[in-house]
Amino acid sequence: MSAPLVLLPSDEVPQDHLPTNNSNPLRLGPGLRILSQPSSKGSNHVLTATQAGLLTTDAKRNTVSLLSFPNRRYIPTVNDFVIAQIHHSSVDFFHCMVTPHTAHALLGQLSFEGASKKTRPMLKQGELVYARVQSVGVGAGAEVELTCVNPATGKADGGLGPLTGGMVFDVSTGLVVLSELGKKLESLGGFEIAVGRNGKVWVDCSNAAESAVKVTIAIGRCLQETDQQNLHTHDQKKLVMKILRDMKLVS
Amino acid sequence: MVGPIASLSQLNRADGSASYKCPATGYSILGAVNAPIELPARRDALKPEEATVEVFVKPGTTTAGVGERYVEGILRSVLGKIVLGREKGFPRRGVVLTLAIVGGENVQRGDSYLTILPALLHAALLAMISASVPLSMTFSATLLGVTKSGDIVRDPSPTAAKAAVSLHVFAISSKNHLLLNESEGRFEFDTWELVRERAVSICQGVTPASTDGDVTMGEGTASASLNGFIRETVEDQVYSDYAYKLDDI
Repeated sequence: MSAPLVLLPSDEVPQDHLPTNNSNPLRLGPGLRILSQPSSKGSNHVLTATQAGLLTTDAKRNTVSLLSFPNRRYIPTVNDFVIAQIHHSSVDFFHCMVTPHTAHALLGQLSFEGASKKTRPMLKQGELVYARVQSVGVGAGAEVELTCVNPATGKADGGLGPLTGGMVFDVSTGLVVLSELGKKLESLGGFEIAVGRNGKVWVDCSNAAESAVKVTIAIGRCLQETDQQNLHTHDQKKLVMKILRDMKLVS
Repeated sequence: MVGPIASLSQLNRADGSASYKCPATGYSILGAVNAPIELPARRDALKPEEATVEVFVKPGTTTAGVGERYVEGILRSVLGKIVLGREKGFPRRGVVLTLAIVGGENVQRGDSYLTILPALLHAALLAMISASVPLSMTFSATLLGVTKSGDIVRDPSPTAAKAAVSLHVFAISSKNHLLLNESEGRFEFDTWELVRERAVSICQGVTPASTDGDVTMGEGTASASLNGFIRETVEDQVYSDYAYKLDDI
């Protein structure tokens, strides 16, 4: 593995950092673009960065992409899982908010598992759904469409659908470690969690009976502090213990 | 000479933010970028295929006035050219940049606003990078003053700038293009050419070879250049954000 390489906008990706697997075409991830320079002998291609970030390559899938800053705004991409909030509903669609201050994403009234004209979820303003980005449209000002079923099977894979109860926490678009909390809270009934690519985490601990609220808040605090302080693995374990003690969840 | 101080992603709720302090002029700027977001009203009608860049400059102690409007216009035209407004998710959306002047002397009415322009440009660029707005290139900017005796002074303080015969702000891109030139006062073409060469050497860290083929010694190592400074600041932030990932490698 070569040394980590940080690129800035307009930097070229050096040839020796590209995966050498030639069986399938090279795929570009976000933050990179291809520029062609027509010359006498065909054209000359260079890959340049458009954002600042860490260059990562995957030799197996033959991809090259740029990991940008985790605090950025989420831009909908097909097949991403997101947590969306219903803003209002119209005849055919629920209008959902994926990120603040952007146009609403559309979620079909019938794109739920087993939904038909007669039986479909009646979601009210403010309710949450765990959905998948179905299409982002073409061209300027296109609408983002969400779905809560896998269109091929008609099943809600991976827990898609309305999220009832629980609480949502905002984290940065990068992700954090959770397994430590899971171990510590098993005795209290465990918790359910859904993570959206748009920087939202939904937590539900209705199994924990009387301490449900406490557990939810403890998890939220752990997530947000880990995120804000950029903690390492051993610091994260310390933080989990500290917060659980503070909230008198473990002795 | 003390170099500038900058850090990225300081604000939690903004999509991208940066703070920049220039010790020579004393200005301290906090910039925040939100992008891509939906703009109120139809401000995108002129160029529906591209993102609209909006810039707001807020002075620390007073309301924004004519001077702020003037630099907002300069910033908007520079940034509008380097932002790739046709990338996915950006057409018909807005890139909103807010720059707050949080430290340094107030620019009095009637004073030159050029003194603060390089600091604003740097804060704007770093905030854009922090918000992952697609850019075609990076740049760095510098302020140069020409005194009565014809000396070229780098980053003059507001009082020194008042005494200067002419003031020049240059922004040089990472590919060595001249992106912006704002000049004020009385000067001749020869002076301007000298100032430009000096600006390129400050931004790029490349000392231009003089006519007899000798390379003049002095300031101009790669790390001392302003473009190098921008790169180091961004690299530091990436390394700290992805520390968990780099440990694995």
